[in-house]
Amino acid sequence: MKKIFLIIASLLVTCAAVAKPGDLLKSMPVQDGGRIKPYDSFAKEMLEIVYGKTKFEGRNATEIVLTWMLSPQAWEGKKIFEVRNHQVLQAMNLPKDQRYFNGEELFANERFTLLRQELQAKRETKEKLDPYFQALQRLENQFFVFQEIAAGRMLKVAPPKEGDTWLAVADLPEHLQAKFLDVTKAFVTYLGVIAEKGDSSVSGKALDEAVAAFETAAQAENPALYSLGGKITAEVHYNSFHPFRWAYVFYFLAFLVLLLVWALSKESLMTAAWVLLGIGFALNTYGFGLRMYIMDRAPVSNMYETVVWVAWGTVLFAAILEIIYKYRLILVAGTLVAAFGLVIADFAPAVLDPSLQPLEPVLRSNYWLTIHVMTITISYAAFFLAFGLGDLGLIYYLRGEEKHQAQIKAITTSIYRAMQIGVAFLAPGIILGGIWADYSWGRFWGWDPKETWALIALLGYLAVLHARYAGMLKHFGMVVTAVITFSLVIMAWYGVNFVLGAGLHSYGFGAGGVEYVSAFVAAHMLLVVYVSVIRQGRGKKATKES
Amino acid sequence: MDKTSAPQKSLFKRINKPLASLKLAVFIIVALAVITAVGTFVEARYDAYAAKKLVYDTWYMYGIMGLLVINLTAVMADRWPWKKRHAAFVLAHIGIIILLAGSLLTWKWGLDGSMRVGIGEANNFVQTAETDIVVYTSFDGDRYTKTLEQEVDFFKNPPTVEKPFIIPAYEGEIRIVDYKKYVVPSKKVIEGEVGKAGSGLRFQLQNDNVNVIEWLVQKKPGNLVSHNFGPAQIFMGPAPEKPRGANEIFLTPEKDGLRYVVFQKDSDKPLKKGFVKEGDVFDPGFKMALNFRVLRFLPAAREDWDLQDSSRPTPLTTSAVKIIFDGKENWVLLNDMVKLFTTNSVYLLTYGNRRIDLGFNLKLKKFEVARYQGTMRAAAYESLVEVPDFGEYLISMNEPLKYKGLTIYQASFQEEDGRPVASIFSINHDPGRFLKYLGSLVLSLGIVLLMWFKHLDFKLARKTGAGTKES
Repeated sequence: MKKIFLIIASLLVTCAAVAKPGDLLKSMPVQDGGRIKPYDSFAKEMLEIVYGKTKFEGRNATEIVLTWMLSPQAWEGKKIFEVRNHQVLQAMNLPKDQRYFNGEELFANERFTLLRQELQAKRETKEKLDPYFQALQRLENQFFVFQEIAAGRMLKVAPPKEGDTWLAVADLPEHLQAKFLDVTKAFVTYLGVIAEKGDSSVSGKALDEAVAAFETAAQAENPALYSLGGKITAEVHYNSFHPFRWAYVFYFLAFLVLLLVWALSKESLMTAAWVLLGIGFALNTYGFGLRMYIMDRAPVSNMYETVVWVAWGTVLFAAILEIIYKYRLILVAGTLVAAFGLVIADFAPAVLDPSLQPLEPVLRSNYWLTIHVMTITISYAAFFLAFGLGDLGLIYYLRGEEKHQAQIKAITTSIYRAMQIGVAFLAPGIILGGIWADYSWGRFWGWDPKETWALIALLGYLAVLHARYAGMLKHFGMVVTAVITFSLVIMAWYGVNFVLGAGLHSYGFGAGGVEYVSAFVAAHMLLVVYVSVIRQGRGKKATKES
Repeated sequence: MDKTSAPQKSLFKRINKPLASLKLAVFIIVALAVITAVGTFVEARYDAYAAKKLVYDTWYMYGIMGLLVINLTAVMADRWPWKKRHAAFVLAHIGIIILLAGSLLTWKWGLDGSMRVGIGEANNFVQTAETDIVVYTSFDGDRYTKTLEQEVDFFKNPPTVEKPFIIPAYEGEIRIVDYKKYVVPSKKVIEGEVGKAGSGLRFQLQNDNVNVIEWLVQKKPGNLVSHNFGPAQIFMGPAPEKPRGANEIFLTPEKDGLRYVVFQKDSDKPLKKGFVKEGDVFDPGFKMALNFRVLRFLPAAREDWDLQDSSRPTPLTTSAVKIIFDGKENWVLLNDMVKLFTTNSVYLLTYGNRRIDLGFNLKLKKFEVARYQGTMRAAAYESLVEVPDFGEYLISMNEPLKYKGLTIYQASFQEEDGRPVASIFSINHDPGRFLKYLGSLVLSLGIVLLMWFKHLDFKLARKTGAGTKES
């Protein structure tokens, strides 16, 4: 493991060496959300909260967020606050077809004060917040974040002499204040040059120097708390390199090549497909390793991280099964669902939070957590693969089962195998969860919704395997159940957090994406019904003719 | 298995066949999945306790579990005598039975409770989810004897006016006539019985900076009760001869008003004396200009609850029962008590979670919370506890104390004004633990072996080979 980190670290050093002038600001350490992170991550997360995206009008968050503080008045008329919830828009008397608003429209509105009181009253009853109140909470948070950054109270840039709460820009002692002023001056000049599309190397260098001077001064305050170590650089590199984006690009390319191999029987392209797949897999692994290195833990603690892990597992299982069976279509399904998963993770940050967060107390420093979560989620990878295969199977049934007997048989065998792999991981994974729960809470099983839904998913697949064994499910039945039973996994994986929202953790979660996920599940159900109807129609026709 | 002896073997197999059927197995698995799924929705809408009472702890859940055990046993008996190739299959299925047996032991004889220990304090009582009604009786108002202790499950079997829960008393009977699952309680004061109840006073203290409105209610006539509002302390009850050296107002109830005595800090002599009635205002004469107003005075008063119904539980709700005794109604909240009087006797009734005496004291010597830097987010918390014959032990998240067959886990903590005040432990005793681990091991082994044993696929190929023609 250490070797991997060493390789990563040396890679980073090379990356840092080629960084362009003006980039040093990105890796300036900032304290936020319970950890030290580069200013780059801080800015992205803040812009994300306010605007819902990590870029504004094509400009990087690092450029935007600092200017909130330097010239708040310049932002007065800009529409940077995102409001998505229709109910909230209605309550604020705002046009429903608009999504972005300026501060004046939202916070000077007297309705805002009323709604805040309504939210406060709701909080006092300590009831669960429904999507409307969660949206109100977000609005309040957007207001708070913008105000606090503009006032210089949110950006904490220097360690204190005592204690561990860092000093915000507004609270800096005089000598640091002066150094920070140099940074902002150099920053403004640098932005000016960029805006005029001039050569930014000189002003960039000046900015880097100012940042370096500030960092030296800040470090002198409390060297133990202030680190400019490899993790900060690694995080900036992780932010800019976007390994998972590259991974799905390669998975998708591999998918396209495999499609040619499969559909047109061009076996000669198989090497190319394996190479593309290998690169994608390496990038997926690399990104995973980076997150692990930055946070010092296995990155499987939230939805985003598990999606990445599942995509990785899907490709792995698909490759193994492909090597054994050489059906070709296993890899087609595997690369497709893996790319799909990573694309979703990349494009839905409101639902799948990609930011790096410290763990809840109960999850900290316990290897059982890692083992049991990784075992359970890797089983989802196998079921995800079965799901992708099921989709392919449905397409074959649409195209005519008589002609594609061989393919359908290959698909059912693959589905059966994938489900077996899934069960072989999920059952021990649930048991490991029980052992962990027994070890840390004294109860082996507690009917907690998360663990219960993992069990329901397991029962679902066990039912399928038993029904297949009993002859209750034929080929078509396997294809259909591979698609339908995956809904249980979606429920266990996503639904428990977002739909049920049970337990105290519901506070932090959004209800984001429910409509899309439901539509995804419903569309597949409809597809299954459609294919069944078509198939039955053909069956009747065939019997009439014969 | 003795029935399998030669002549009856075929008969046994014939009876056993439907019980060992795979179709039954599929039905059981699906039924289990559906029931537990419903349970999670109940939990999301209400809480874990409701889900346990309405779904997981019910005859149909146990019925399905029982059927599962029968099916598993039958399916293994069906393959008797076992051969080597059956190993994976038998392990996987016996594992489940062992696991369920372990759960049964836990359910029957296990302990699952919680304990709150204030910092620097000790506790020897574990609180569990079961609810009990306890009645103490006294004939002199001083010495009480326990006259009833009974488990009640009002959540499942709520009492009503038509079917009340009746507790016989020395004189008459106490009837529990109503139960509310989720109520938000707030205190109110109503008129009590003259001679038995103490007095009640609602007062207001007011100046430019202060505006305090409070109730003071004596539990018994002549009791001393107080309200401390920082610069001064307000007492209702008999005034002492000498002050204690602080700013104090004593109000002694009389028939139609209160006699008051004011003491000022560092002075031995009363600052002021007088008599006030309901609606009166006086200035106690402290350096800060204050007005003391008697908003309401009840010579005989008692406290009662105003209950607001809630359709779902929240951290603010509790449950409550309504009792009728001697023609009078009373609401009793969960883990609260009520005193009932007749001319000759006093009854003290408590309705609350069962408290089990551990037989030793758990002392909380120190409690610490580590926070993520620069935030109030807890990163970790730990309790330094002391138990007899063992000494000190540091319990932290995921690092429990195992002592006298109990496992004491750090579950949570209580905070007031951003400072921890008490640690909450979960206390467990699990007699089924060994079987659960054994069952898990056997089951996992079986599942992994099933992957390697090809016989399953052969059989499948045989069956579906015939089946594909129809499909």
